[in-house]
Amino acid sequence: MTFILGHPLLPLPAVMIDCLSTSFRRLAASLLLLLLLCVNGTADAGLAIALNSADGTISLIDTETYTVTDKVTVCKEPHHLIPTPDEKSIIVACAAANQLVFFDPSTGREQKRVRNISDPYQLGYSPDRKWFVATSLRLDRVDLYDPTDFTLKGRLPAPRAPSHIAFDHASEFVFVTLQDSNEVMAIHLGTQKIAWVMPVGRTPAGIVMSPDNRYLLVASMGEGVVEVIEWRFQKSVKKVATDTATHNFQPKGDRRHFFVSNRSVNGSISLFDTRTMTVVEKYDVPGGPDDMLVRADGKELWATARFARKVQVLDLDSKTLKVSIPVGSSPHGVFFLNHAGLR
Amino acid sequence: MIGAFTDGFVQLQGWLLDRVVQPVLLTLGLGSYLEMAFDGLEFFLWGILQLATAYVLLRPLEALLPIEVWRDRKAVRVDVLYSLLDRLGIIPLLVFALLAPLFVEVDSWLRFHDILPAQLEDLFPVLEQQPLLSFATYLIILDFAEYWRHRLSHTLRWWWALHAVHHSQRKMTLWTDSRNHLLDDLSSGFWFAVIALLIGVPPGQFIGLLMAVRIVENLSHVNARLSFGHLGELLLVSPRYHRWHHALDLPAGRRYRFGCNFAILFPVWDQLFGTQYRGQAMPSSGLSHGPLPESAAESGFWRQQWEGLVALAATFRPHTRGR
Repeated sequence: MTFILGHPLLPLPAVMIDCLSTSFRRLAASLLLLLLLCVNGTADAGLAIALNSADGTISLIDTETYTVTDKVTVCKEPHHLIPTPDEKSIIVACAAANQLVFFDPSTGREQKRVRNISDPYQLGYSPDRKWFVATSLRLDRVDLYDPTDFTLKGRLPAPRAPSHIAFDHASEFVFVTLQDSNEVMAIHLGTQKIAWVMPVGRTPAGIVMSPDNRYLLVASMGEGVVEVIEWRFQKSVKKVATDTATHNFQPKGDRRHFFVSNRSVNGSISLFDTRTMTVVEKYDVPGGPDDMLVRADGKELWATARFARKVQVLDLDSKTLKVSIPVGSSPHGVFFLNHAGLR
Repeated sequence: MIGAFTDGFVQLQGWLLDRVVQPVLLTLGLGSYLEMAFDGLEFFLWGILQLATAYVLLRPLEALLPIEVWRDRKAVRVDVLYSLLDRLGIIPLLVFALLAPLFVEVDSWLRFHDILPAQLEDLFPVLEQQPLLSFATYLIILDFAEYWRHRLSHTLRWWWALHAVHHSQRKMTLWTDSRNHLLDDLSSGFWFAVIALLIGVPPGQFIGLLMAVRIVENLSHVNARLSFGHLGELLLVSPRYHRWHHALDLPAGRRYRFGCNFAILFPVWDQLFGTQYRGQAMPSSGLSHGPLPESAAESGFWRQQWEGLVALAATFRPHTRGR
């Protein structure tokens, strides 16, 4: 069986197509393309949402023209956004407003607000979708919620400055970087207890699990390295230099590479290979690149530039900056549906 | 035009972060403060702009329409120093560094005990969708809180001992607004932090407008024969209105126990709470009696800080009377 247009949602046997004349095949292909767009969501066609922390807004960006079409007020001091597992919503963490605000990622319209979520900063769903985890960077605390109704299930002290979140593939643990105490903390989700805390490089920020579930990768802002940790043994096995202020990770979508943002004003993004545990490429991306996302076709990497009020779009073919999109103050998260994957 | 200004502003902010602040923070292992430092630089740059704007707009008024003409302006210099320390963020940074750990502890304790501090937006969700309404609401509430803070600083003896440094200036100018004892600044910061805990922090996206508010505060101390007229002074504190707050003396029958015209922006609070005096003249400013020595009017920065501390200590001694 041959998949038309390479899309798994619309499989047709190739033999059926061969029966058609060339012109009819072209027409059929056009109609199928149109149908594909309708079925798979007109949404994919064009909206990116960038979160502006200092403005308390989101910028709605047309991904075809790279222009901001609207700016929507969200709340006081929103930090970070993540999609729900079904990607029917994106959730914005409103730290100072104690809220989660849900938006439709295809339209940018607000869907609902969940109040009384205390000081959410970074958010994460466990892979088994049984836990919703929020860190409170300011108040040194990690909160564990039931994601079905956002009731608080556990609250753990996490001094100091718990920041980014990662999970193991089995959803047994959540790992949190502690920025000010230079540590990584592992919380056992079953018991909701701290399993261990280990020292890492200075000012750890981003943290991800390697595709083989064996290593944690930790971005050390203070040392400008990615630290590789064999988490089952709590052992630091390697530090790989990237650039100044190594900050965050984003999977490339090939289950092998991660983009690593180096968040300084004259910043860069490194490409990290998890098989060789080396940096294989580096691109100049000024303005303090922070959160990132790759387009589904792998041609573009979008990154919020915290210190430039811009979203930077990197052309991954030419490996150069393609366009800078002015957004609001302190952009801190970007999302679009047509992405290459989040894990 | 606005786009070019924003671009230039952000580039300068980024350059300062990259060349000056970031190397220091990363070397000291304080990388997690980079975002805060970037915001602080915005405050710093806006402070320069605000002071420059206040000088360009208000200094000519002082030259053209002076209430008082002085042979030398030596006593004004210390107020310029206070203004630089305040508006460029050095004193606010000190206050933040001292108070933040305490209030984070309190906030953290409350939340660990399932007490989520209130947010104004939870009571009035409409504020979440209306940024200008939100800004106006916070401005009114904070100005109301400022009225009471100011009034208390004249009422409580220990606080008055500190706040008197502000009132000791006899050559009041646009710079005098920031002339405050450091412990007075700390007390004001504490007051603001309590308010923030009660209603939530105000939205941060209006830094430009907040700077405009600060120009009004500079204006209210200006040495220029200016009033906003009968109607205008019902709406906004004018130089004449505020000068009566700094008056050496008030007319007989108008001597409120602890002074008058405590409003910072909106005179309505004085009207509501009976502390308003609408004098037509431009009185001399300064302290007519205690708690600081006469020399405070001419003292330098450190001397004034010391004189304020001595006055503060005196309020805790038994049998000390008077203000």
